[in-house]
Order: sequence, then C-alpha cells, then structure tokens
Amino acid sequence: MTDQDKDTPTGDDTTDFGFSRVKRDQKVNMVRGVFDSVAARYDLMNDLMSAGIHRLWKRFTIELSAVRPGQVVVDIAGGTGDIAERFSRIVGPDGQVVLADINAAMLGVGRDRLIDRGALGNIDLVQCDAQALPFPDNSVDCITIAFGLRNVTDKDAALRSMERVLKPGGRLLVLEFSKPTNPLLEQAYDTYSFRILPFMGRVVANDADSYRYLAESIRKHPDQDTLLGMMEDAGFVDCQYHNMTGGIVAVHRGIKA
Amino acid sequence: MNQTHDPAALSGLLAGLEAAINRALALAPAASRELGDLGNVVLAIECTAPEVTVFIRVAPQGTLQLMGYCEDKATTRVRGTLEDFIALAMSDDPAATLINSELEIVGNTAPLVAIQQIVTRMDVDWEAPLVEKLGDVAGHQLAEAMRATFAWGSNAVTSLRRQLSEYILEEGRLSPPKAELEHFFEQVQAVGHRVDRLQSRIERLKRRLDKAGV
Ligand SMILES: C[S@@+](CC[C@H](N)C(=O)[O-])C[C@H]1O[C@@H](n2cnc3c(N)ncnc32)[C@H](O)[C@@H]1O
Repeated sequence: MTDQDKDTPTGDDTTDFGFSRVKRDQKVNMVRGVFDSVAARYDLMNDLMSAGIHRLWKRFTIELSAVRPGQVVVDIAGGTGDIAERFSRIVGPDGQVVLADINAAMLGVGRDRLIDRGALGNIDLVQCDAQALPFPDNSVDCITIAFGLRNVTDKDAALRSMERVLKPGGRLLVLEFSKPTNPLLEQAYDTYSFRILPFMGRVVANDADSYRYLAESIRKHPDQDTLLGMMEDAGFVDCQYHNMTGGIVAVHRGIKA
Repeated sequence: MNQTHDPAALSGLLAGLEAAINRALALAPAASRELGDLGNVVLAIECTAPEVTVFIRVAPQGTLQLMGYCEDKATTRVRGTLEDFIALAMSDDPAATLINSELEIVGNTAPLVAIQQIVTRMDVDWEAPLVEKLGDVAGHQLAEAMRATFAWGSNAVTSLRRQLSEYILEEGRLSPPKAELEHFFEQVQAVGHRVDRLQSRIERLKRRLDKAGV
C-alpha cells in the first residue's frame, strides 16, 4: 500500500494529498479542511494516537533547541500550542514566542488553551503558511516545526523560508514521523496507522478520513537521510538527526550559517 | 547515527523522576528555598555503564530540571558507573562517599552534595509520576526496583541497574528480542482484525437502520 503512489507520473501541477493526487493549489485547502475538522479533538486524539509519548518526543526536541531566556522562538504549524507554551516559560518576559499555523481553527483552540493556562503574555499567534513566513530576515533565534512539515506542499520552499528568517547561528528543529529502523516494527506501525488509527478517528473524533489522511501523509514524508539532504540544500549546516522510538519519529536539527 | 539509547525513553524516565522530586519539593518549601539559594547550578552526571549523560539544573524557583541534553556549562561534572551513582544517591554522608568512591569529579562538589542532601531528606513518591510518564508496566517495575534498592541497599542494585539499562538502551527496548517483537506484531495484527470486523458490523447495522428508515 505504500508504493502505489511512487510510480505515478507527477505533472507539475499535482501533489500528493495522502495517497490521492490533487491539484497543488487545492492541497492547502484540503489540508486546512482536515485540520478544521479535527482541531477541537486534536489534543485528545494526539494523546490516544501515541499514548502520550509525543510529549516525550517534544521534550527532547525542546532540550535540543537549547533556547535561552530572552530569545525569539517561532513554532511553525504549532497547532494547539503545547510547544509554544513550554517555550514561553523558557524565554521568559524578555523573550518572545510566535505560535504560527495556517489554520485559524487550530490557532483558536491554541488561544483558548493558552488563556486557560495563563500563558499568553509573551506569545503571539500568527496565521501564516510555512512556505512564505511573514517575518523579517535574520530575526529569529530558533524555529521548531513538529508534525507539520509533512503537511506542507512545497517542503523545500518552507525550509528556505525558515532559513531566511533565522538569525545566523539560529537553529531549526524538525520533529516528524520517519522511517522505523526495524522492518517488523514498520509493519506493525503500518497496521496501526492504516487500520487502527482511522478506526479510533471514527469513534473518538467522528472523522476517520482525516485520520486516514494523517496516516497516509506520514508515509509520504521523506525518510531521515532524505530530509537531512533537503535541509542541507536549503542552506542549513551541521545538520544531524536523532531517531526516537525506533525511528517512528526523528528530530532533525540544522544551523543557519 | 551513533547513539546507544533512545532519547524518548530517557526523556520519559527523566520526566518521571523530575515530576516526583518537584512534587515532593512543592510540599517542602524549606527544602525548595534551600535549592533556590544554590543559584545557577548545572550538574552533569556522566554514567559510563550504561553509557548515558544526564543533566540536573536548579531552577531559581527552587525546583529541579532533569535533561538528557543540555548545552549550558556544567558547574560540576561527575563520571562513573551506575552503581557508583546509586551508592552516592543513597549515602548518609555524600561528601565522604564522593571521596571514597571511584567517581571522577571536575568542578565544585558543594552543590552536588547539597542537592543530594535536600532530595534524600524528603519523602519522595517515585511510583505515581513514573507510572504517569512511562505507563503501568515500565513505571511500576522501575519504581519497584528503586524502592528495593533504597530499602535493601546494594543487594538490589543489580536489579535496578538491569531495569534502567533495559529501559533506556536501544538494545533492550527498540531492537527487542525477535520473539517479543513478533508477539507485539501479532497483537497489533489481532487488534487490526478486530477493528475490521467491528467496522463491518457497524456498517451492517447502519444499513439495517437505514432500511428501517430510522
Ligand atoms: C499534526 S498538526 C501538529 C500540531 C503541533 N505542532 C503538534 O505537534 O501537536 C499539523 C499542523 O500543521 C498545520 N499546517 C498544515 N500545513 C501548514 C502550512 N503550509 N503552514 C503552516 N501550518 C500548516 C495544520 O494546520 C496543523 O495545525
């Protein structure tokens, strides 16, 4: 089921939406639709999906960022704001955090959650597309994008845009589903992603199609070494990655020269 | 990449220990103040067997932060085996233990001794936070091994060491023995089949309801 798309000839104006090809300009809308429909249940689903382990992946990602008080951090595709909230505490009152997402519904859930937790003081919410970040050149100390890059149509453009807004020496951290290092693990994971997860999606969020799309988009995402190469092509140096949970996810880090 | 342990597994362990200590500190304001007074302290605990480095940072509000990765300059670096560190953690006289053990130390030992004393003086519930972060099985086993170690001392150290190594090392957890992996795989497949069956039952029911015009 993972190879059906590889051999399809790619016209310039189509791109993958999960495993079905769609027109490039439609994808942004379709992605938005998917996240609109799951936004409200997203945190709950997220916990169920990975039994809370995504918090540990994020915890390590935040350690790797080495963000310090006073810095400027942008969390792209930040969804409901859990990473932004943690950064907000680290950068403190002299720093600034931007929670950026293409989707207004996601940002809305994020805003409510941040207000609930009294964490909005140094956080700005910006609705924008990762492919064209609306921030000045050389203005940001650290960018994170967690489980977001796979949804972006033109990943190379997004990586270049991130490189542009980072300060020299600034870092990018990409946390994303990746290729399990063990073939059996990969198979079990496939079953989980394509059969169990959409089912849970139907029962919990009443929206199996969205979760099937999530599962499919995970499989379309570049593996560890491909993503590393893409980051280097976008101009990042000292690129490296760490596999977590058997390579189900990996966190990539690159520095702007 | 050249890594011996799974960062997510280590993060889970550290998140559990950190939550346990900070919950105890929240109930012991004097201890928390003492910690805060230590100022900017980062301890680097370099364990050689299993090979893993853990960083302990004192936050100004008198809590501890445990990290698997940290770029701050360490105030104190200590290097040794897990047994040495467990002996240090359990010692009634950490300063003497430091001198008599095989641990290699670079930097100021005073904050290390102070933190050890503050934490051992408190009554820390390790189990609940470990279970919260690691799940029932791993969390409970680790907490059990820790309790045994603190109660019976060195006799139980080997068990704790084995548990910890198994937990954080990729060897033990992420390339699990083939049999274990196959078992896991079968379970996932079985759930997959059940999901499929449930799915078609739901569809049958739906068709029946539709037909009945409900
Ligand atoms: C799976 S969620 C991840 C949310 C959060 N970072 C997390 O780890 O829980 C993916 C997010 O990416 C956002 N997204 C999708 N395409 C995007 C784009 N082109 N630019 C910015 N955000 C995008 C979606 O709206 C959604 O909130």
